[in-house]
Parts: sequence; structure tokens; C-alpha cells
Amino acid sequence: MESLYLLLPVSVLLVLALIGVFAWAINSGQFDDLDREGWRVLEGGADASPTEEATSGDQALDPGQG
Amino acid sequence: MSMQQAGLAMPNPNPPVPPLTPRQAAALDDAATLGECTRWRQRPDGEREAESVFALQGMYCAACAGIIESALIAVPGVARADVNAASQRVLVQWDPRSARASQLVAAVQAAGYRALPAQHEAARVARQRESRQALWRLFVAGFCMMQVMMLTTPGYLAEPGDIAPDLAALLAWAAWVLTLPVLLFSAGPFFSSAWRSLRQRRIGMDVPVALGIAITFIAGTGATFAPSGPFGNEPYLDSLTMFVAFLLAGRWLELRARARSTEALDALLQRLPDSVERLDSDGVGRTVPVARLVAGDRVRVAAGQAFPGDGQVLDGSTQVDEAMLSGESRPVERGVGDAVVGGSINLAAPVVVQLQRIGEGTRYQQIVELLQHALTQRPGVMRTVDRLAGPFLWGVLLLAALAAAVWSVIDPSRAVWVAVSVLIVTCPCALSLATPAALLSAAGGLARRGVLVQRLDAIEALAHVDTACFDKTGTLTQDRLVLAATVLAPGADRNQLLARAVSLAVLSHHPLSVALVQSLPVHAHGWREVQEVAGQGIEAVDEQGRCWRLGAPAWAGVHLVAQAARPRVACAPWPSLPEEQVCFEFDEALRPDALGAVQSLGAQGLAVRLLSGDAPASVQAIASRLGLTQVQGGATPEDKLAAIAALQAGGHRVLMVGDGLNDGPVLARADVSFALAHGSALAQQRSDFIVLGSRLDQVPAAHRLAQRTLRVMRQNLAWALIYNVACVPLALAGLLPPWAAGAGMALSSLGVVLNALRLSR
Repeated sequence: MESLYLLLPVSVLLVLALIGVFAWAINSGQFDDLDREGWRVLEGGADASPTEEATSGDQALDPGQG
Repeated sequence: MSMQQAGLAMPNPNPPVPPLTPRQAAALDDAATLGECTRWRQRPDGEREAESVFALQGMYCAACAGIIESALIAVPGVARADVNAASQRVLVQWDPRSARASQLVAAVQAAGYRALPAQHEAARVARQRESRQALWRLFVAGFCMMQVMMLTTPGYLAEPGDIAPDLAALLAWAAWVLTLPVLLFSAGPFFSSAWRSLRQRRIGMDVPVALGIAITFIAGTGATFAPSGPFGNEPYLDSLTMFVAFLLAGRWLELRARARSTEALDALLQRLPDSVERLDSDGVGRTVPVARLVAGDRVRVAAGQAFPGDGQVLDGSTQVDEAMLSGESRPVERGVGDAVVGGSINLAAPVVVQLQRIGEGTRYQQIVELLQHALTQRPGVMRTVDRLAGPFLWGVLLLAALAAAVWSVIDPSRAVWVAVSVLIVTCPCALSLATPAALLSAAGGLARRGVLVQRLDAIEALAHVDTACFDKTGTLTQDRLVLAATVLAPGADRNQLLARAVSLAVLSHHPLSVALVQSLPVHAHGWREVQEVAGQGIEAVDEQGRCWRLGAPAWAGVHLVAQAARPRVACAPWPSLPEEQVCFEFDEALRPDALGAVQSLGAQGLAVRLLSGDAPASVQAIASRLGLTQVQGGATPEDKLAAIAALQAGGHRVLMVGDGLNDGPVLARADVSFALAHGSALAQQRSDFIVLGSRLDQVPAAHRLAQRTLRVMRQNLAWALIYNVACVPLALAGLLPPWAAGAGMALSSLGVVLNALRLSR
């Protein structure tokens, strides 16, 4: 039971860290269009090589800043 | 699955998109147009690269995005194309040396969609920032809520003494720490909105909400760090975080629904840029984008093109469609020296115009200013829930004070705790969700029927209207004319004459010719020496060498006894015998659902009126066909505003349906407004509802749905109030444990949301 005295504060810190990660994900635009990236997997035409696909999938459309 | 297969599996329901005209292509490639939607940047190898944002129209599913992307990638010089389906935009990275902007647009159009240089980007970026912020707030609240609940649950489940006191304290402190982000960050909008309404000396629903959150947190802090203090040892922090998460979920959905209709509308409102032929001092024409024109320029405006500004005709004569500006349904004649209005459309022949005013001071701009002014005078809508907020707040405060007073006699040590728990259980979670849930669900149901909701509050206002005003031209009637009657001399060869007239009409772009072609079967005929005479009609020579004319009756040599109010054209050889002559009369066509819509609204208890800028005689004719008695014709935008203001002053709540620019001000002023999707951008921008497909029968349907929404809202509010009232006696008696308060809050909110979902069917 003694381990709880350490684990509880650690879990609180972990939660705060996760909130930070999520903030980064939102601000990099990953939640702006949830449908598009799902469809991209199905398309996989000859127009893009696999590596290009991977990078374009990571970069979200953000015309305002990009 | 390849792109082609995806395209085949789901056939594109959009009508084919006409290719770009050379004028539009020239305007697209001009730096002045591109500047608004494009960022230039230096590539590592020193070459210039463009990043352009285009608004897309016609996207109906997520798979469309792939079709558009591959169409763009196929254009040489395009490095990257990313479609965002939610905001209906595409970001294209392209090389200005090997591609032109007009090629990009043409590629998307060939795929069956429309792409337009994006405008209002700053507003869209601001919207995006707002929605990201709202999602983050919701996530923080939701995530912390789960953690706080996990940390509180052992206290509910364990027998007294099972958990060591210092471990229990640690659990409580951890829960308190995780409540801090919820209070300080997630709940921020409630506090700022409550503060705003207090400064305006109003009490909105956010005031009791903020009060509930603040009191719960203060009591929870006391209970966490001083369990034997006046706030008791029940922190209620799980209820607090759950409450904030629920409310934020409601707000986020509301924001998303609003953003969706704004984005859809934004894409709808974009227009292709146009260019016009400007004449230099030596009379040589050069095509320049409209954005580059200044007052004093001489321009040649082609048939079918809109006049770029107010001006005077220098050369040529034509017919002009001013329906959008004045509501006048008939084309008007304009010759040398006549004034033309910017935004009206040149129908018949090219004319040279000296521009006198561009932008500021034009009739168009005057109407825009009238509209802005009308917006500020619009009657305010008081949300039902905000009307409840004041009495609710005072009632709760009074109860809490009473509880404290009573308990200070019975057991002073529990007085503060009881008063606080009254405030906590009456925290109006379900009450705040009651209205937005119903409005959102109704907006979803309307969107499924093709009605976009721009202002959610308008659904509530729509349920209360008692008068409906319709514009005539373009709203109740269709834009085109239809053939109403054919007049022939006795003994004339009907079939042969009609065939000739139609084959001549095919050669002309005049609106009456177009109407004639649409009304009769088309025959081919070998016409020679075809010549269009501006302001008169068209003439040509047939196989036998006879000259025929189709146009104004007097010009065609046809003399009619009766003066008809309706527009007409005659067709005859020149010169001709009476039995070779034919005359066509045209009339406005009512929309097929106009009569049904007007009758349904009448049956739903609304007084229906007609308010039009067209000539009183033709307004009266339409009114009698629809069985309307309250009619006003010949009204300028100012007259229309005055008419609406008079109705409102008489205590009426007015619904306005319109489409034209001249309806913009009244649409802004009316309590509730519907704009038809084919109409002017300005009218749509300021309307509460936009009817896609211009189906009038959606107006009475939306009114019925609004009334159902109002009923559901009242049920929701009643249910939420009953829950709060039922909990108060328990709290007063000091019998309400925190877990019961939390469960009750969740159940009552769920009930409210489920009830509201009925509206989206």
C-alpha cells in the first residue's frame, strides 16, 4: 500500500502531461478534419509514393498559418 | 480502390460545371485576385513557390476530397493538394512557372466541383482558432472529470476506516489538484460570460452556473484541506468537474453546428472573379480584372455580364436585368445617355459604359449600408432560458439563505454546509443544456431537409412569428418567363409558323427568346445572314430568300390592337401578310411549390403578405393567383423597411422570405428571415435561414419544426426545473450525499438530451 503514496502524485503529473500532449495535437490541426485522413488510407492511388503519403498524412491542412 | 472506381461507385450528383470563360480565366490569373488567397515563398533552391487556398463547392462526402486532390495533382506544376472537407477548402502548393491559377480551377471544375479563390480567410482562421480552443477546454474538463471520479470513488465504496486517513487525504488533494485546470481553464467561458451579463445588468443562465461552480469549488477546497471545518467533509469536486464537462460538451456541439453552417455558407457565397474589357484613350480594349477599375474608365460590357459599377451608356443599346436591385421582373431598355446600375446584368448586346462610381456611393453600396443600419434595429430575441435565469437565481439564493437561517437555529455547525449543498444541487446543468440541445437537434433536422440555420436563436423566434412577408420576383416566381399565350391570325399555318419562330429564337440570347425555346419543341432551320438588332430583335434570311424578323411587334411589322401588360414578341416575314404573323405573350412563372407554401403558412395561422419592388400591376396579378389580399407593389428597399417597421410597431412578429439584393435590408430587419440559395450573396449573408434548392415548401415545414422545438424546449425546461426542485428538500434536510447529487445531475442531463434528439428525425 505504501507505493500508493508515490503512484498517486505520479498519476496526477501524468494526467497534466497528457493534457499538454493533447494541446499540441489540437494546435497542430490534427482534429480539424477527422474524416479526410481515414479516407486517404483507402485511396492509395498511383499519384503518391508511400513515403509522400506518410508525410502528407501527418501534416494537417492549415491554410491560416501554413 | 482507385479514384476512378470511387467516382463510379458514387456518381457525382452535381450538375455539370460550365468551363471557365476567357474573362474569368484572365481575372483568376491576375495578381490582384491571386494576392488575396495566395502566399508566395522562396523554395530552398531559390525558386518561387505559391500556396493558394481555394474554396470548394459541390462537395457532398469525404470521398470527394480524394477526387479533387488527384485532379489537382495531375496538373503539371502542382506539388501538393490538401483538401479539408470540414471547411471545404483546398490548399494547393504550385509552381508559378509551369502552372497558372486558372488551370487549377479548371482542373477542379473538370472533376465536377467548383473551386473559387478563397476570401474572408482571416474570419475563417479566427473561427478555426475558436473551435480548437473549445475542443481543448472540453478535453481538459472531460479528462480531469474521469480522473477526479476515479480518485473519489474509493471514498464512496470503502467502509469507514478501510482507507488510512492520510491516504484518504492524499486522494482528496489529488482530486483537488486535477480540479484546478477545470476551474481555471475549462470553466473560463462561464465566468467571463457571467461577468459580462452582470456588467450589462442582466442575469443570463451563465450567472447561476458560474455561481454554482464557484461555490462548489470554495466548499470543496474547504472540505479537502479542513475536513472538520464549516464546509463539512464532502468535497463534491466530482460533481463540479462533471458539470463543467457536460456543459462544455453542449457548448462545443453548438459551436460545431454553427461553424458547419457558416463554412457551408461561406463556400456558397464565394464568387468567381470577373474581368472586363477596358477601353484605353485610343479606343483599344484590354481585359482587366474588375478589381482594377477606377471611376471614369470606359468599359465594354458584353451580353450576359454584370455592370461593374454605376455608369452611363456611351455607345449601343441593350436590355438590362435589374431584378436583384429593384425587384423589377421585366428587363428594362437602356440606350445612349441612360444610366446603368452596378450589379445589374446586361442581357442583349455589348455596350460601352463610362463608369461614374465604383464601390463607395454606388446603388449597391447604398443598399449594403441600409442593410447594416437595419441590422442594428432588429428586435432583440430574449431566449426563454435567459428569461428563467433571473427568477431561478433569486429563488435559489433565497432558499439557501432560508436553509442557513433555519439550520443556524437547529445546529449552527451545519448551517454553512447545508446552504452550500442547496446551491450545489441547484446548479443548473440540465437547465442550461435544455435549450441548446433542442436547438441543435432542430438545426440538424433542418439541415437534413436542406435548410441551413445561421443563427440558432432564430429557431425560437420562428416559432413566435405571426406574419409572413414574401418578396415576389425570384422568390415566389421563377427567374425565367414562360409562354402564356400564342396569338395567330385565323387561317394561319400554326405548326409551320411556330417552328420558324423557335428556330429563329434559338439563335438569340435574349431572355424572351430563351423563354420561347424552353416552351416549344425546337426545329432546325437553315437560316442565313443572321443579324441581331439591339433593342429590337433578330432577323435572318430563310431558304427561299425571304427575310424574317423575331422581336418587338412594331419592328416585326405586326400591329396589335390590344395593349397587353405582359411582355410579347412577334415573328413574321418582312414585309408580311396578317396570316403569316404570330405573336407570343409571356408571363412570370410561379414556383411550383409557391401556392402550397402560402396556403400551408395560412393554415398554420400566419398572415401572408406580398412585398415587392416590381410594378404594382404584375404584383397584383401574382397576388390574385396566390389568393393574397395584403399586397404592396413598387416598393424600394427603403419602402420595404418602412413596411416591416410599421408591422413590428403594430406588435407583429414578422417572417420575411426573399432572395434579391433589394431584400437584404428587410431580411436583416425582420424578426426571422429566409433567403433562397440562388439569390444574392448579400441577402444570404444576413439571413437566419438559407433554403438550399430554393424550395419554398421548406418554409412552412421549418415553421412547424420550430413550433415542435419550442414544445420540446418547454418540456426540457420543466423536467430540469422539477429535478432541481425535487433535490432541494433533500439538501435542506442535509440528506443529499455527493454521489447522489452527481448521479442525479447526469441522469437529468441525459433525459434532456434524449428528449431533444427527437427533433432531428
